[in-house]
Amino acid sequence: MRKIPEIGTYVIAFLIILVLIFLLPRMMPGDPLTAICGEEVLVEMTPELRTELLHRFALDEPLWRQFFVYLTGIMHGNFGYSYYYNAPVLDIILEALPWTLLLVGTSLLLSTVLSIILGIESGWRRGKISDKSLLTTTMILNGFPNFFIGIILLLFFAVYLGCLPLQGAKTPYSGLAGIDSMLDIARHLVLPLIALTLAQIPGSYLLMRNTMLTTLKEPFVRTAKAKGLSKVAVRYKHAGRNAMLPIVTTTGVRVGIIFTGALFIEIIFSYPGVGLLTYNALFMRDYPILQGVFFIVAVFVILANFVVDLLYRKIDPRIGDANTEYAH
Amino acid sequence: MKNKHVAIVTLLSILLLSLLTGLAIAQADSGNTNAGDVTYIIADPTGDWGYPTPHGHYPRGPGYVRMSLIFDTLVWKDNQSFVPALATDWEYLEDENAYLFHLRKGVTWHDGEKFTADDVAFTYNYVKEHPSWWVDLKSLKQAEVLDEYTVKIYLNERYAPFLNNDAGSLAILPKHIWQDVVDPTEFREQESLIGTGPFKLVDYSKTHGTYLYEVNKDYYRGKPDIDSLKFVKISEEMSATALMRNEVPATAILPETVAEVGAAGFVIINQSGNWNAKLMINHNKAPMSSKEFRHALAYAINRTELVEIAQRGHAIQGSPGLLSPTTPYYNPNIPYYEYDPERAKDILEGQGYQLKEDGYYWKDGEVLELELITASRFGFERVAEIIARQLEDIGIKVNLRSLEWKTLDSRVITRQFDLAVSGHGGIGGDPAILNKVILGKFGYSANYTKNDTLNQLLEAQLHEMDEEKRKEMVREIQKVYAEELPALTLYYPTWYWGHDGSVDIYYTMGGIASGIPIPLNKLAFMEYKGQVEAPAPAATEAPVPGFELLISILALTAVAYLTIRRSKD
Repeated sequence: MRKIPEIGTYVIAFLIILVLIFLLPRMMPGDPLTAICGEEVLVEMTPELRTELLHRFALDEPLWRQFFVYLTGIMHGNFGYSYYYNAPVLDIILEALPWTLLLVGTSLLLSTVLSIILGIESGWRRGKISDKSLLTTTMILNGFPNFFIGIILLLFFAVYLGCLPLQGAKTPYSGLAGIDSMLDIARHLVLPLIALTLAQIPGSYLLMRNTMLTTLKEPFVRTAKAKGLSKVAVRYKHAGRNAMLPIVTTTGVRVGIIFTGALFIEIIFSYPGVGLLTYNALFMRDYPILQGVFFIVAVFVILANFVVDLLYRKIDPRIGDANTEYAH
Repeated sequence: MKNKHVAIVTLLSILLLSLLTGLAIAQADSGNTNAGDVTYIIADPTGDWGYPTPHGHYPRGPGYVRMSLIFDTLVWKDNQSFVPALATDWEYLEDENAYLFHLRKGVTWHDGEKFTADDVAFTYNYVKEHPSWWVDLKSLKQAEVLDEYTVKIYLNERYAPFLNNDAGSLAILPKHIWQDVVDPTEFREQESLIGTGPFKLVDYSKTHGTYLYEVNKDYYRGKPDIDSLKFVKISEEMSATALMRNEVPATAILPETVAEVGAAGFVIINQSGNWNAKLMINHNKAPMSSKEFRHALAYAINRTELVEIAQRGHAIQGSPGLLSPTTPYYNPNIPYYEYDPERAKDILEGQGYQLKEDGYYWKDGEVLELELITASRFGFERVAEIIARQLEDIGIKVNLRSLEWKTLDSRVITRQFDLAVSGHGGIGGDPAILNKVILGKFGYSANYTKNDTLNQLLEAQLHEMDEEKRKEMVREIQKVYAEELPALTLYYPTWYWGHDGSVDIYYTMGGIASGIPIPLNKLAFMEYKGQVEAPAPAATEAPVPGFELLISILALTAVAYLTIRRSKD
């Protein structure tokens, strides 16, 4: 089996990421203590308090020792202590993470399904009005960054029409429970989800459409048609399924892109996820929070890629077989 | 067939995961208000300001305000003066350099325990040992209990800001709860929220940035009319919309929305003079190290234009003495540097600069070129652009660079700059702030210690217990500062709040506690004027009913379609 060297690649990638997420925040100009009291003149940063804080946050230690503490901490599942929030990093991230997972997960699902269906239909109807208009729409959509789409949606649906909430993830202290509470959360999710998903669709849609076009030229499609199978069956079961491979491959990469996209979307909609947390932590030079968030996002992306790798073997037997053969 | 199953299983598991997260977070809603109760809602763009205990809130004004609803201080302020809080009266004992406080009788903590002098003495000594961000007790020698309701606080030096910055800011803690607490910042038990204030905390959500308070029926001033108080998170851009839609009765609003909100019948209150935008000048570096050169810069900058164009009129022109005309300490008789480009040119020429045909001043074969740095915040970029143009107009070549805010700060602290547009607040409260923003080594400070007269005056005003004499000193400080001009105050932006009039929120004299310019003084919530008739129809259309129904139907249809397709295989 050739799996071991591949796991090795993941481990190396992971180690490099560990070093980067430790160093990058520290390479930004400005130190956390100045950042924390920086703009608030009323804060009384006495020399005693400063010394105490430097010690508490271990900022008076040499860099290599900080790195060592950080590494051993991670091994014990301890991500440190936030400077600004004054609480364990893991607690803070775990409170924000479900919202991001909800947003990113749903968006990943929705954008994948939609772009596959749209790609198949569009490829099938190549050159027809519906294909052309779909193509134009996605090209226009492709030109807009997700936050721009977000602002437009926000202005139209929340401000002008007023039919959807302005922001947040749920109505505070609404006293709602059960299904009402779920609906409330869903209502708050609609706009950020659409913004994030719309920005994701063009890339995958174009990929899907192109592969579909190539696949439709394959002899087996003609065979299927010749067998007298229904159009839908040919389109989805034969051509579509085979054209899906590149989409699956890029899913791992897209997880990373959607996470980054969520950062902007969360800021626009004040959606209380990891993105908003990162944004605030950047301002405060809150190294532990930044490290924690980057770590968790990196783990998700690496995991997603790993899963895709495994999935790919299943979907495309050629890969697995080839590797097994050459391993001998 | 196999590959299809794998794909479906993956998609389904993502769906399940998302749904489960949704379910899990849906359960987490807590806190509810009873019908018929008076609830007042306040919008805030940041939302989360930390756990509302004296050591738990984040080191920012709004965090202090949320804490101040639960905890009381010895003295407090309303919109005009100091008012009694936990102390009914107080006096300064000159001979002993101590403050004598007579405490209010019959006050109980939220848990029913009696409030006494022990709690006060304990708090002062405790916070001296466990410093908080907000109150600096360096002047405190010790606190002593004279009897159950009398406390004497000894200072180790004469300290003029004591009443405002210490007695008026330090939240009194219950001794019976805090005496065994070793680390106050991490103390988050339910009992850590026991105070004597008008409100008790029901819920705080860091994630959603929301706070819910209920009234303290046994508050010593009487029960406030408001039954519960909510803080919700609404972004700056959306706050005016939320107000006009009657979703919140009070919020800070952007200057651009003031006219619209006012026209819709809401009450607008405003405040300026607490915050100032400053041109930081690196006085350690030639040519800015010359006082006359700094004067030339000031004459070349048209501050009126900054107010009119960069701030669209929502600001007061800056005084070179730093303090704004809205404070009682303001000195109008100082060098004002009214815009005078010709005078600026005269000064430069007097310093040996010569205007060449390229339009710039030259000296010793070098063009007069300065770097102006700023950050993309508070509209500073616009300000910097205008200043750059004004300086170019008289013949100074300007290199404009926009940096990230914290980078700007660290460049200013390490003196790696020529000119910088920056700013800070805190100048509406006690003038002790002047020492920090003139002498201090912070990003917002002029960091200027070269003038002995200024140094001595600044030190002396801290220890002058006679208010009139102190005012005189502070006026003199502004004069010397304006002459030295280590930094130039450009303008004081005007901040606005809009509210529906049901509660008369107001700006506190000199800011809440040590100077927080937020109109949420807890005393305002004592009185509720009843549901004011909905101020004007909301500007937006009626909500579309059943939108969530539509979404659900669409989702169900999609699921059904997929299921049917699968079963056909």
